[in-house]
Amino acid sequence: MPVSAPKGLQERLDPYLAIIGPMVMILMILAFMGVAEPARYFRLSNLNIILLEAALYMPLAMAMTFVITQRGIDLSIGSVAALTGIIMAFAIKEFGFPAWIAVLLGIAIGGIFGLINGLVITKFRVPDLIGTLAMDLVYRGFALVLAKGLVLARFPDLITDIGRGRLPGFLPIPVIIGILAFLIGAFILRRSWFGRYSIAIGSNPEAAEMTGIAVDRYKVYAYVLMGAMAGLAGVMLTGKLNAIQATSAPYFNLHVIAAVVVGGTSLFGGRAYMLGSFAGVLLLSMMINALVTLRIEFFWQSVASGVVIILSVAFYTWLQKKDRDGAKGLLNAFTTPDNIKLMKLGGVLAAGTVVLLVIGSLFSTGSVPSG
Amino acid sequence: MPAATPIISMRGISKRFGGVTALQEVDLDVCPGEVLAIVGDNGAGKSTLIKILTGVYQPTEGAIEMDGQALSMNSHSEAIELGIDAVYQTLALADHLDPAANMFLGSELTKSFLGFRYLDNGRMRVEAERVLLERLGVRLRSMDVPTESLSGGQRQAVAIARAVYHSDLRVLVMDEPTAALGPQETARTLKLIEVLREEGLAIVLISHSLDDVFAISDRIQVMRRGRRVDVVHTRQTSRQEVLGLIVGAAEAA
Ligand SMILES: Nc1ncnc2c1ncn2[C@@H]1O[C@H](COP(=O)(O)OP(=O)(O)OP(=O)(O)O)[C@@H](O)[C@H]1O
Ligand SMILES: [Mg+2]
Repeated sequence: MPVSAPKGLQERLDPYLAIIGPMVMILMILAFMGVAEPARYFRLSNLNIILLEAALYMPLAMAMTFVITQRGIDLSIGSVAALTGIIMAFAIKEFGFPAWIAVLLGIAIGGIFGLINGLVITKFRVPDLIGTLAMDLVYRGFALVLAKGLVLARFPDLITDIGRGRLPGFLPIPVIIGILAFLIGAFILRRSWFGRYSIAIGSNPEAAEMTGIAVDRYKVYAYVLMGAMAGLAGVMLTGKLNAIQATSAPYFNLHVIAAVVVGGTSLFGGRAYMLGSFAGVLLLSMMINALVTLRIEFFWQSVASGVVIILSVAFYTWLQKKDRDGAKGLLNAFTTPDNIKLMKLGGVLAAGTVVLLVIGSLFSTGSVPSG
Repeated sequence: MPAATPIISMRGISKRFGGVTALQEVDLDVCPGEVLAIVGDNGAGKSTLIKILTGVYQPTEGAIEMDGQALSMNSHSEAIELGIDAVYQTLALADHLDPAANMFLGSELTKSFLGFRYLDNGRMRVEAERVLLERLGVRLRSMDVPTESLSGGQRQAVAIARAVYHSDLRVLVMDEPTAALGPQETARTLKLIEVLREEGLAIVLISHSLDDVFAISDRIQVMRRGRRVDVVHTRQTSRQEVLGLIVGAAEAA
């Protein structure tokens, strides 16, 4: 074998990339909040809030790491969490089940929903994006049918302990559950067939198939894990709020996917970073908490999660490109014939919009209060 | 010269895909310790033929014998169990896994703790390094990098190592193993093939490069439009003759 060139910077950084990205962003948030709102952001009680928020997403992000590594996606986890939470609530309140049975029931039913998702994708051949989005409507619909706009509240101690309890002098219980989920996830990723084959499937599905891996079966496993963790999240959410309703957990999908991709797991498959997902969850929770602390309207959270997904995917894609060009390359990229045409299209759309705005204000009849 | 009794005999193989006849009445024999090259134009049916040999496709008509015993294979994994494996035209490697993980993909080594079995990454690494070095004479500069960062020839070596790791491997099929390689890497891959031939494997090599074919093969089977047109001994033929057989000049004239 020829003498190899010294390792490139990228190659040496690669194992740590997943953690560096979120870490830099976490530091940026810390620095920014240190200037903007140090008193309220760095309080111990606020740290607790951040951790409790993050804990909710940890089992979800762990499972989503496997799903995304296989080139899959699950857009139904928010609804699965809400529906399992409601089913658990009914089991306790209507049917008087013992709390611990109801908890396990929630996780098991979540797993069944995941199984359904997996079968829809692998047996009916519905693409994962559409399949899970459609199932999201189904699960949310069932949640609405069951709960009929009611808020189910006040649960046994076991449930609230799972959601917001704390081991005296130690971490909150949900945080322990979350970290445990990640530890188990990291072990599964490196040491089990499921983890190994998840990477192989995402990396090269045809090759995986050819080596005799039961690709569809392992895909179903990933969705079952995802569903079970969504069920667990439903239990944790119910416990955290000591209440659950059909419209709970509206932003789980975006939030969890953002946490996973910001941690370096590639949406194009084959690249899994469990530690990165963990850091991603912390980052997202810190970011949203920062928005809250700055008294920015709740709805901006959705904007922020979306922007984080786009930026991190674009960033990692750029990072992995083999032939990166310098600043000149960037300038050149703007002046390719195709991009000039796109800029012209953008210009026309912008000009048209401006014209409409001008005409609209010329003919304006003053504001019309609605309702 | 190879042993005279073939390990594999395919007789009267035909394969139709719907209306398309990919193979018609094709025979193939390969003996232990020989390299049989299959040449032919694009679409001549070479890949289809060896996919039947490796259990990926089932023949519409015809029979396959191994050591004189009739075979019927329903999947590639059955072929692997019988000692027939393949390295494909497009490499079947998972680029994001390291070389050892790739080598053992689908047949991982495990250890167990309290009756709980999990992957033994350390042993797979050691074994992969050993097989690459001892059987193929290849040493990778690192066993920890993802396979995508290896050169084409090294990736080829990993793919071959995966096939030869089965100690009962007897027939190795290679579909254009050098198609994507530069001259040096091609030479290295041909070396690997020679090593395996010395070990007594029967090797079926598909190639469009007559240079490679003449450098390494013992016999050349020429395919044209789904038929076997001839089999010639490499030492008793010339490029001219083989080219003529491939394009069918002799018949057309
Ligand atoms: N799965 C399939 N379905 C339909 N037709 C097929 C299929 N596979 C191969 N064929 C047809 O069978 C014929 C032989 O194809 P094959 O791939 O065996 O050719 P080849 O000799 O390997 O060519 P190349 O040198 O280009 O790899 C072609 O006409 C091809 O279109
Ligand atoms: Mg071919």
